[in-house]
Amino acid sequence: MTRSPILSVRDAARHYQSGETVIRALDGVSFDVFPGELVGIVGPSGSGKSTMLLIAGLLELPTGGCVAFEGEIVSRPGGSIAGLRDFRRRKIGFVFQKANLIPFLTAAENVALVLQIDDVPAAAARLHAERLLAALGLGERLDNRPARLSGGEQQRVAIARALANDPPLLLADEPTAALDSVRGRQVMELFRTIADVRQAGIVVVTHDNRSLDLFDRLVEFSDGRIVAVTDNRPAARPASRPGAA
Amino acid sequence: MNLAMKDIGSNLSRFLLTLVGVGFLITAAIGMVGLYRGIISDALLIIDNIGADLWVVQGGHAGPFAESSAISPTMDRRVDGVAGVAGARRFVQSSQQFEFEGRDVRASVTGLDFPEDVGGWLRVVRGRHLASAHFEAIADVSLGLALGDEIRLGRDDYAIVGITRGMVDAQGDGLLFVTVNDAMTIASRRNSEEILLARNGMAETADAASASNAGRIAAVVVGLDPAADPERVRAVIGRWGDVDVLSRDDQHALLLDQRLWRLRIQILAFTGVLLVVMAIVISLIIYTMTLEKLHQIAMLKLIGARNSVIVSMIVQQAAMIGLGGFAVGLGFAEAIFPLFPRKVAILPGDLFSLVLAVVVISGVASSFGIARAMKVRAQEVLA
Repeated sequence: MTRSPILSVRDAARHYQSGETVIRALDGVSFDVFPGELVGIVGPSGSGKSTMLLIAGLLELPTGGCVAFEGEIVSRPGGSIAGLRDFRRRKIGFVFQKANLIPFLTAAENVALVLQIDDVPAAAARLHAERLLAALGLGERLDNRPARLSGGEQQRVAIARALANDPPLLLADEPTAALDSVRGRQVMELFRTIADVRQAGIVVVTHDNRSLDLFDRLVEFSDGRIVAVTDNRPAARPASRPGAA
Repeated sequence: MNLAMKDIGSNLSRFLLTLVGVGFLITAAIGMVGLYRGIISDALLIIDNIGADLWVVQGGHAGPFAESSAISPTMDRRVDGVAGVAGARRFVQSSQQFEFEGRDVRASVTGLDFPEDVGGWLRVVRGRHLASAHFEAIADVSLGLALGDEIRLGRDDYAIVGITRGMVDAQGDGLLFVTVNDAMTIASRRNSEEILLARNGMAETADAASASNAGRIAAVVVGLDPAADPERVRAVIGRWGDVDVLSRDDQHALLLDQRLWRLRIQILAFTGVLLVVMAIVISLIIYTMTLEKLHQIAMLKLIGARNSVIVSMIVQQAAMIGLGGFAVGLGFAEAIFPLFPRKVAILPGDLFSLVLAVVVISGVASSFGIARAMKVRAQEVLA
C-alpha cells in the first residue's frame, strides 16, 4: 500500500553566516511523514533536530531545499513566513517542552482560542474544546487557569490545543522533558493514540529513551544531517533511501 | 473571545491600581487646567457680571482691578449726563480683615450703588438682596458667615442678609457686598488717634494715602444705551482729562495680560509639564503591558492568530487604561476639587481637550507596543 506523505522535506538546508564561518545547522535533509505515523527525531544537542522542526513547522524558511505539504511546495528559500500563518493554523499543531499556555485563559479557553482565531463561533469552539479536554482526561479542569494545573495537565491542554483544528500534522519538541517518567510515558502514549485514531502525522523531537518503543520510525540526526533511520513497524511503508527518511 | 478583557480580568486588582495611578495623574492635569480657569473666572467675575460697558477710572491709572484708582464720589452724576449713557453707578472695593467669632476673616468689601443696585446680579443662594442703605451685607459662602450673623467692620456692625456662592476676587478672598456708602466708610476707617491727628493738621504723620483717598470712589460703572456708540461716549468722557475710560475688553486685557500674566504662564507651564509626565507614564504603562505579553504574542502568532487579533488586544487595553483612567481621574476631580480653597473650574471644553490628549497619548503608546509586537516571531515561543 502506498500513501502520499503529509509532510515532505526535500534537501532542506539552514546555513548561518557567522563572521567568516558558515554554520550548517541543517545540511541537506530529506524527510517524509505519513498519515497515522509517529516519527521520533533523536540526536545530540546541536544536531539540527529543533532547526528541522522549525523548518518543517513553517516557522523558518530553509536556505536550501523546500518543504511540501500534501504534495504542494509551501516553503522554499526567499519565501515569506508571515504569509504562511493561515496555512500553519489549519495544517499544523505544535507542542513544546513547556506547555506555553496563555496564562490568563482557562484550559478550555486556551483550546477554544485556536478555533475562534479560525472564525469558529464562540459557543461551538467552547463545546469542541470541552469535548477534546474531556477526551484527554481533563473534563474536571476546564475552567482552571494554567497556574492551577500540574505540568502533565498543562501539557495535555497544550496537546488538546494542538489538536483543536484537527490538523493533519503535529510537531512536538521535547514534550516530555519537563515531566516525570510516568507522565512522560502517558503523553507519549497519547501521541501514539492520536496518530492511530486521528491518522495525524506526528513528529516528536525527543531525548527520552523510555518511550522509543512507541514510535513507528526513529530518525537520528547528527551535525545537521540524518545519520540513521530505524523502522519499528513490522512492515515498513515506503522504503528508506539515502537522504530520505 | 476578548483577549484584552480576559487578561485584565485575570489580574483585576493590578489593573484597578493602574487605573487609580493614571487617574490621579489625570486628576492633577484636570486640577491644573481647572485652577487656571478658576483664577481667570474669579478675576473676571465682577467685570463680566456687574453689567458695565465702560469703566471710568482715575486719570493715568488702569484701575480699579489692575491698579488703584480714586475719583470723586460725584463722578457718577457727571457721567450720567453724557449722551448715550443709560446708567452710571459708583464702584468701591477694598480688602478688609476683621475678626469674627475668634477667627480672622479676610474679605474683599465691594460696594453696590444702592438703591440702583441692590445686588440683583449676584449669585445669592440663601437670604435676600440688600434692602437697606446701611448696615446690611451679602457675604460669599467662602467667608464662613451665615445668615443673621453680625460682623463688625470699622466702627459699625453689619447684618448678613444674603449668601452667595463662588464669588471671590482675583486673590481668592470672598466678596462681601455692602452699599457703596458703607463701603466707602469701611475703606476710610481710621482709629481715634488718626482722627485726632488729622484734626490737628498732622495728617502726614498718619496714613496719608488712606486719608487722601477717604470719601473717594474707585470707579464709575457705565451702562450704555443699546443704540449708543461706545467709542463716542468714551471720547467724550476721555476729554475731561481727570479720568480715563476703559472698556470691558480693556479690563480683561489688563487683568489677564498684565496683572495675572506671570501666574497664568506659571500655571500653564506646570500644566504642560504635567501633561508631558502624564504622556510618559501612560505610554510606559501601555508599552510595558505589551512587553510583558511578548511570549503570549509569539504563541498567538504560532497558533496562527492574525495580526488584527494582536493589535486589537493591545489597542483595547490601551483604550481601557486611557479612558478608564480618565473616568477615574474625573471622578476624583469632581469629588475633591470642590473642597479646595480656590475655585477649580472644570469646563466641558477643557475636559474634551484632555480626553483627546489622553486618546492621542494612548494611541501613540499603543502604536509603539504594536510595532514591538509585530516584530515578535512565532519561534520566540521556543526561547
